[in-house]
Order: sequence, then C-alpha cells, then structure tokens
Amino acid sequence: MNAGSKRILVVDDAATVRMYHRQILQQAGFSVEEAINGLEGLEKALNTPFDLYLVDINMPKVDGYDFLRDLRSRDIYQGPAIMISTESEQHDKQRAFAAGANFYMVKPIKPADLLKYCKLLLGIGS
Amino acid sequence: MTKQEISLEEFQKFREFFYRKTGIQFDDNKRYFVDKRLIERIEATQSDSFRNYFTTLRFQTSGEELQQLTNLMTVNETYFFREDYQFKCLVESMLPAVCANKKPGTRLRIWSIPSSSGEEPYSIAIYLIEHWPQIADWDVELISSDIDTDILQKARQGVYSPRSVQHVSPLLLDRYFKKQKSGDFQICNDLRDSVEFTRVNLSEVSDTRPYRNFDVIFCRNLLIYFDDLSRRKAAEVFYDALNPGGFVCLGHSESMSRITSLFNVKKFPEAIVYQKPEQK
Amino acid sequence: MGFVKISATDISTDDQRHNDRSYLGLLDSLQSTDEMTRRWAARDLAAFPQASAALMEQLTQEPDRSVREAIFVSLTQIGDQIAVDGLITCLRSEVVNLRNDAIEAMKLMPDAVAPMMQGLLHDSDPDIRIFAVNILESLRHPKVESWLIDVITTDPHLNVCATALDLLAEVGSQQAIEPLQQLKQKFADEPFVQFAIDIALTRIQGA
Repeated sequence: MNAGSKRILVVDDAATVRMYHRQILQQAGFSVEEAINGLEGLEKALNTPFDLYLVDINMPKVDGYDFLRDLRSRDIYQGPAIMISTESEQHDKQRAFAAGANFYMVKPIKPADLLKYCKLLLGIGS
Repeated sequence: MTKQEISLEEFQKFREFFYRKTGIQFDDNKRYFVDKRLIERIEATQSDSFRNYFTTLRFQTSGEELQQLTNLMTVNETYFFREDYQFKCLVESMLPAVCANKKPGTRLRIWSIPSSSGEEPYSIAIYLIEHWPQIADWDVELISSDIDTDILQKARQGVYSPRSVQHVSPLLLDRYFKKQKSGDFQICNDLRDSVEFTRVNLSEVSDTRPYRNFDVIFCRNLLIYFDDLSRRKAAEVFYDALNPGGFVCLGHSESMSRITSLFNVKKFPEAIVYQKPEQK
Repeated sequence: MGFVKISATDISTDDQRHNDRSYLGLLDSLQSTDEMTRRWAARDLAAFPQASAALMEQLTQEPDRSVREAIFVSLTQIGDQIAVDGLITCLRSEVVNLRNDAIEAMKLMPDAVAPMMQGLLHDSDPDIRIFAVNILESLRHPKVESWLIDVITTDPHLNVCATALDLLAEVGSQQAIEPLQQLKQKFADEPFVQFAIDIALTRIQGA
C-alpha cells in the first residue's frame, strides 16, 4: 500500500495552513484537496469520499464538529479524521471524538508528526 | 501607459481571495484567462497597479468592482437547457422526494429566479412535460421572477435566437416552438401560458414576503454576483419561501458554503442540491 | 393537472399577514414557541434599530440555528453599539457556531467594530485575539494592515501571530517586510511559522 493512491481532504479556513499541510502531504505522495469550511468539505466528500480528513475546528458557516457529525451520518465511505485545533483543553478532545474524529492534534503541526499520524490512520507502513 | 503585467505572486494572491469569496478555483493553466481579465479591470478602474486594484477589490464598501470582476470571470450566457443535469435531478430525484411527502391534490410549486429572458423556466416546463409522466397527476405552479421589467416582458413574449435554442433537439424545437420569418423561434402559446412571470427584487422584504410554500427553487448564477450580506439575505428568502424538505439549486460553480449554513447538503445521483430541513 | 397559474396577489397562502408587524407585535413574536414565527420576527425586526437589545437577548437563549441566523443578519444590518457589544460577548461562548457566526457578522460591520478592535486584539485570552484577527479578514478598514503588523510585533502567542500571517500574505505591503523578518527570528524553530512568513514575504515582494 503506498501513499499515491490515497486522497486527503484538508478542511481549514486559513489559506496558509491549507498550503502548508498540502505541501507536506503532496511531497509524501498523497493526493490533496482543500475546502475552506465544513460545508464545502461536505460537498467535496459527498462527490467523492476521501481516505482521510484533516479538519480544523473554527471555520465560518459550518465548523469542524458539525462537519464531522454530518459526515459520519452519511451513508458513504467513512475515512478516518484528524481534528486540528489551536485549543488544547481536554474537553475539546472529547468533543472531537464524540463528533467522529479518530485523532486530535494541536496547531501548529510539525511535518514529521503530520505524516506520522496520517500514515498511521491510513494503515501505511513507514 | 506601460502595459500591465500580473506577476505570479499577484495571480496567487488574487486566486486565493477569489476562491475564498466565490468558491471558484483557478488552476495554474488559467493564468492567461485570469491575468487578461484582471488587466482589463485594472485599466477600466484606472488603478495604476495591481496592488491598488486589489485594495479596491478587497475594501470597496459597495462591492461593485468584485461583482464586475466576477461577471468577467464567469460565463453568464443564458440558453435553453443550460446545466440540464439539474432538470434531470428535478424529475428523477427532487420531485419524487417532494411528492412522497405531499398530500395528493396539493400543488407543486417551483420558483425560477432570475427569469432573465425566460430560457430557464421554459426549459423546466419542457423538461417536465417530456420527462415527468406524473405531471398528469399533479398541479404544477411554475413561477419565474426578475427585478427587470423589460426582461420580464421579453420572457413573456418568448422569442429566442437560434443560438439560445442550440441545445434544443429538432424534435423539441418543432414541438414547442414556432419558427419566425426573422429566423428566431417563439415558444408556443401553451408553454407561454404555463409560466407566471413576476417582478421581484430579492433584496426587498416586502417583495419577497408573499413567496411561500415552494417545493423547488432554481437560483442559478445570480447569487455569485451579490455581496456577502445580500447573498445571506437572499438565502433567508429562499429558506422561508420553501416548504420543509424543499430544495434549492444554485449554479454549478456556486455553493452555499460561501453563503449560509441554513440548508442541508443533499446528494442525488444527478446533482448536489440544498434542502431545507424537514419538519421535526 | 399539469401547469396551473395563480394570480400574483394570491401567492401567499400562509398566515403571515395575520401576525402583528408593529414593533411591539414583533417583539412578542420573537418569543413565540413556534420557530417560524420567531424567524420572521427576527427578520422583520431588522427595520427597527431599537430592536438590537431584544435581538441580542433572544440570541443568547435561542436554541434553533435558523432563528439565530436570522437574528445575526438583522443585527448586522442594525449595526449599532449594542449589537457589537453583544456580538463580542458571543466570542466568549462555548458554542462554536455561535462564536463563528458572531465573527462573520462583525466582519460586515466595519464602522461599529473598528473602535473595538484594539481592545479585542489585546484581550487577555489568546483565542479572543485570534477571533479578532479573523474579523479583520473581511473588515473594510484602512487600519487593517497596521493592526496586523502590531500583532506580529507584539503578541507573544504563536497561534495569534500565525493567524495574522495568513492575512498579511494578502494585504501586506512594504511596511510589513521588516516586522515579518523579525518574526522569522523569533519563531525560528517553528516550521509552520517559517513557511507562513516565507509565503507572506514572497507575496509582498513579488508584487
């Protein structure tokens, strides 16, 4: 199993963050698409479900929690999701998992960490 | 005046801004397309640099320049059966969903806005007659509105150029249109009678308040030209105009993601549309 | 069956006309047990600038998001001090979409929000400072760039600076270059910050 066949959706309202994650993931051979909020993310996922979702919490219109809850309620392939936040309080982790996240990371993320956990969740060997 | 050129960084800056505002994404291979239009607007606004133009774009209170630019960047030609996958969706998915929850004998109401010169509402009418057998079982109100009374008049007349009907098959052309001496085509009287054309300013609450109990709304390639607040207000109008479970269709490059969270995203085989939540 | 027409005046088949649309009638309807009624009241109250307090109060206790949406739109249009003060309190809410919707509303109220900006950008809570920078994204105000430069020069919190960087890449000019270079030194070990600063510098210098 290699990275090349895996599609990752980066859902974040900050363009620079999307670019940063995109660059790291593309360099590792993943195919990356972007969405600026949970609603656009949902539209893209409904079109073609992704293998992995990187989801920011605070976004306009539809935030990360609502996005994940909605995604998990759909009858489509359910890829794992990493929730990403600037907040580091414990209760947000619980909220994230309750919404349907598989993992939780705090911004800013180091490239090696991002790759490590994406690969782990995708079941790809290092 | 020296010939304007757009640098790569300027293109990237603009591209991100435009994507954020409209959802339209330009690939690198659209460089020429985008640069050309930016330069056109830079010159038209007499901005002496991209930077000054971009500042206007971002900070202008009226948002007019962004609308102008959006106009240039998008295809806004209207013609029969434009984006007809949505009409297919209407017949194969939306109407079945709506009818399943409707008491027989109640009317189906469809709103097409803007009417422009009528291509869209007449296309819907033809499509329903041709592809929806259940039209025999239901009363359908097809209402189409525009802010411009002149264009409403044109729509009522229903006369179209060959270009406008180029995607209409010869069979349908023959069935629903009358060819004029001028070479134009006029919609047959029965169809002209099937659409109610009304004048509506979407931003006027007094205009829109009476529009209620609709099952499907088509609002394609209009909201993309509105500023942020006007778009949201229009979405409010549609939300209140719809029955619970009713649908809104936007243009294929438009998305509620830039407008509001009021609607649920609904994926049908033919299209992604937006649904007002069903009654709790 | 088939297509039917109705007269234009007959379009509304609903009960809306029965409801009292006077100011007091609307305030009453804003408290209705029916969501639709509350929504219509919230929409219609946009025409009454004195309604901002009542709208704000309803917002804090309104369970239905569609009603909250209508309230936000009306508050945006009224755009007075009460509305802004109220929206600022929403920033401190635990309800994520309430915070985010408040940010969206404030983006569209440059005149009312501008005097509050300094306070927000220097709030003791870094999350509030981040939200303040978010508001700047669509805020039509000449001081946006200088506020952002102030943030990256003085804010100790990494994520606040990072949020400001994103916007500086879009609105930054010559005067942002030196502060950006200094920030590079300050967070030399942070790959994301280095990345974001490089983007901003390239965008500014490539113009």
